[in-house]
Amino acid sequence: MTDKPKIGVYICHCGINIASTVDVETVEEYALKLPNVEVARTYSYMCSDPGQALIKEDIKEQGLNRIVVASCSPRMHETTFRKAIQETGLNPYFLEMANIREQCSWVHEETEEATAKAKKLITASVAKVRLLEALESKEVDAEPAALVIGAGIAGIQAALDIADAGFKTYLVEKTPSVGGRMAQLDKTFPTLDCSACILTPKMVDCASHPNIELLSYSEVEEINGFIGNFDIKVRKKARYVDFDKCTGCGDCAKECRVADRFPSEFDQGMGNRSAIYLPFPQAVPAKYTIDPENCLYLKRGKCGKDPKCQEVCGAGAIDFDQQDEFVEFKVGAIIVATGFDPFNPSRKPEYGYDDYPNVITGMEMERLVSASGPTGGKVLINNGEEEIEPKEVAFIKCVGSRDESVGNEYCSRVCCMYTAKQAHLIREKLPDANIRIYYMDVRAFGKGYEEFYDRVRRENVRYIRGNPSEIFKRGNKLIVKAENTLTSTPVEDEVDLVVLGVGLEPRAEMREIMDLLRLSQSGDRFFLEAHPKLRPVDTATEGVYLAGCCQGPKDIPDTVAQAKGAASSAMIPLARGKVTIDAQVAEVNEATCRGCGFCVEICPYTAIEMVTVNRFGHEIEVARVNEALCKGCGSCSAACLSDSVQPKSFRDRQILPQIAALGVIK
Amino acid sequence: MELEKLRETAAEIAARDDVKYLIGWKKGSYGYRVAPAFAEDAEGASDFIFSPLCTANLATYLTLVEKLPLPRGQEPDKRKVALMVKGCDSRAVTQLLVEKGIHREEVIIIGCPCPGMVDPDLLNKKYPETEETAELKWDNDGFVIVRDGEETKVPREELLDEKCQLCRYPNPVVSDIMLDDPVKAWEPVEDEGVKEIEEKAVEGRWDYWQQEFSNCIRCYSCRNVCPLCYCQDCILDRQNPDWVYRSVNFSENTAFNIARAFHLAGRCIECGECERVCPANIPLGKINRKLAREVRDKYGFEPGLDPDAEPFQASYKPDDPEDFIL
Repeated sequence: MTDKPKIGVYICHCGINIASTVDVETVEEYALKLPNVEVARTYSYMCSDPGQALIKEDIKEQGLNRIVVASCSPRMHETTFRKAIQETGLNPYFLEMANIREQCSWVHEETEEATAKAKKLITASVAKVRLLEALESKEVDAEPAALVIGAGIAGIQAALDIADAGFKTYLVEKTPSVGGRMAQLDKTFPTLDCSACILTPKMVDCASHPNIELLSYSEVEEINGFIGNFDIKVRKKARYVDFDKCTGCGDCAKECRVADRFPSEFDQGMGNRSAIYLPFPQAVPAKYTIDPENCLYLKRGKCGKDPKCQEVCGAGAIDFDQQDEFVEFKVGAIIVATGFDPFNPSRKPEYGYDDYPNVITGMEMERLVSASGPTGGKVLINNGEEEIEPKEVAFIKCVGSRDESVGNEYCSRVCCMYTAKQAHLIREKLPDANIRIYYMDVRAFGKGYEEFYDRVRRENVRYIRGNPSEIFKRGNKLIVKAENTLTSTPVEDEVDLVVLGVGLEPRAEMREIMDLLRLSQSGDRFFLEAHPKLRPVDTATEGVYLAGCCQGPKDIPDTVAQAKGAASSAMIPLARGKVTIDAQVAEVNEATCRGCGFCVEICPYTAIEMVTVNRFGHEIEVARVNEALCKGCGSCSAACLSDSVQPKSFRDRQILPQIAALGVIK
Repeated sequence: MELEKLRETAAEIAARDDVKYLIGWKKGSYGYRVAPAFAEDAEGASDFIFSPLCTANLATYLTLVEKLPLPRGQEPDKRKVALMVKGCDSRAVTQLLVEKGIHREEVIIIGCPCPGMVDPDLLNKKYPETEETAELKWDNDGFVIVRDGEETKVPREELLDEKCQLCRYPNPVVSDIMLDDPVKAWEPVEDEGVKEIEEKAVEGRWDYWQQEFSNCIRCYSCRNVCPLCYCQDCILDRQNPDWVYRSVNFSENTAFNIARAFHLAGRCIECGECERVCPANIPLGKINRKLAREVRDKYGFEPGLDPDAEPFQASYKPDDPEDFIL
């Protein structure tokens, strides 16, 4: 810097947050004596308008060129003060924040000590601020298109919103049809809307929307780039059916040599499908798909004399030579809506899910009561001997949720309500059945939920407080063994059907998405949002947003709300058409870089790559930072043995004097 | 190993058009001395040897080459460098490949399966060298010392270098040409040097290293000989910021030695060159071996074995142990 530093120090009271522990007046006096400090002031709320005005006036009138704000964490208000400084024409990066709240007043009780520490922190900031360099943030164009991964209700809603706003949207779904878990549900709590009836119009919309390109039966293979400029590569898996020719008539599935032999994924294995199939009648797109695992012709190269499907298909749509195809495109934002896996109750062997056919999961129950399900909506269950209409039904809640023994400490948030809903549906279909629900707690927190829970209880559904310890068979009945913890009495109930209220778990394949997008997991293993309260749909990777159960268990209203939130966040860069790239990024000193690539390996944002440069006639490899991807975290700097890569504003020559000022080193 | 075969192969490689030079060992100017040798043609390789005195790790010369500015229009010399390596040396080459210090196509690696080197200090003490013709050979179960035409047989244990007693990779782990059949790896002895320090209490360790580091004259021989200390601009030399002051005292000596040891954690391949060249006889091997052992025990990682491995200092697993973090 050529100008002599003229530093202003602004000490915030933060109401009493700081001022009650730190003697701000003494600190102000002290700060004035520090080298190059021209102005020192205190104010009750520095972040308020009048507080910021103080700083701005001093810059204009006293010609300050460096600002130290002693207040809260820079995570809180660094941007606020940078903007204020920028308004005066000073470079916004000539700011240093001394955190005298979180790191001082909040953690100390004695005024004397806290004041002494505040002085030290300010001394250190003053020592650093004079060494800061002017940085310029850059703007790059953003591609006005979005990618949505997963076409359950979250992905569908997000895609529809973005497309309605006029942006091109690519909706990628792994399975042959959109719809996700919601398509499998019978009725939805607490209003008892038919799930398919409210979902199907949206499914159809997203297939016919002019701005949505639906890539069903497809998977994202590669994602490169950064917010505003992601390069995407998608694998469209071979359906072995010509997409344009198939009319969805279904003759092929009827005539298939192995018709109705394989458990239907959609019916949770309670019904069967053929090797060529449509997942469910309302599937979108209504195109058949051959399952290569089970198709005789694809597996063995032979299916009778000629494959039946080929024979009967009037449209000539069967194409056994079809290959996977790759589609590449560019988007500015990505929404991850990959959903959840239902908890697999085999991991709770005491409930006998693997042993007894009449112990089923909530998802299976959905199919069982559904009019489009394998029994046509009749509650019929095989008790191991015969198919019966159950007279005694037991529900068990919190299976795989709130259970440390399976590693899930969280509440799955939907089981209380779907159990209540299923109890109601059974009551409708079997007015005389005895229905018991074993529970730990009932959490009916949403709009209309408590009312629905009361309604179900009035319908003669018995809630028994106690988690069953065991389920076993006696005669042709199942025995549910539990303790009623309200009456402290052991119970052994004879039942015909047990429904396990299984919880929601992160998807088994979520690691692939994590690797593609460099996302993190929270303690419950779901995707981690950028901030649990204030940035619930953002992620640490800019331009990537979360919707639905991939971020944590949610019911449908919350999922839709979050999907709309994610869509509106994703539309910010798309609508602006530009993204701002923070200037506080790492920089490589190519003259000293030895080209080992440790920084490339360690960078959590894949922001560093090796490039070949010409050094006095020799071709050498050095690291180079992609400023659009870099977050300035400094991991590279820690890994670099020759100290050749450092984040701007956190260079050794800037932070060592700061540390020295604390009196730690010489 | 047949000397004739060695020289024949060496001459053949040094004569190749695509080879800039071949680095090997030759007899030094007097006594037991062995010197690194650079052969640019067949003639130059005619006096190459491989004996129990070829301790020097030649891999260091791969990165020591200074790339002088080229006159405009002149193409850089892209010919390969050929290099003779023992087991330990080959691990240095492998680690350099991992760190992109060199590229595989730039080197020709000539593997010398190694039955073990002698400890030169011990040798000199017990069997003082004579000016002219002192040299060493391997015998079935030991060494043969030749002084003034007189042969003395010495059991292996008597003179085997400490690093070789601890060696687990006597055969080159990477090579283009092998000069002999692999030797049978031996059971490494327990690392008494590291054990001795581990058995000390923290204060005892501090006292020990205070004593040792006080002797350091900061000549940087350890750094200069190390095949894996190859930053062109070493941060320990830099003045802005001044990480380590130039003053030779316990505080700065310690800072230097500890910084070097940490930079080598998970990278040091235990060739022992730093300790061998130290004029102050500081047991540097003990620090490096201790850190190597920590890396091996805690992370199951050994450097210099797989050229495609992720560099240890740049790799991360979610279940990495953190029990040493306070």
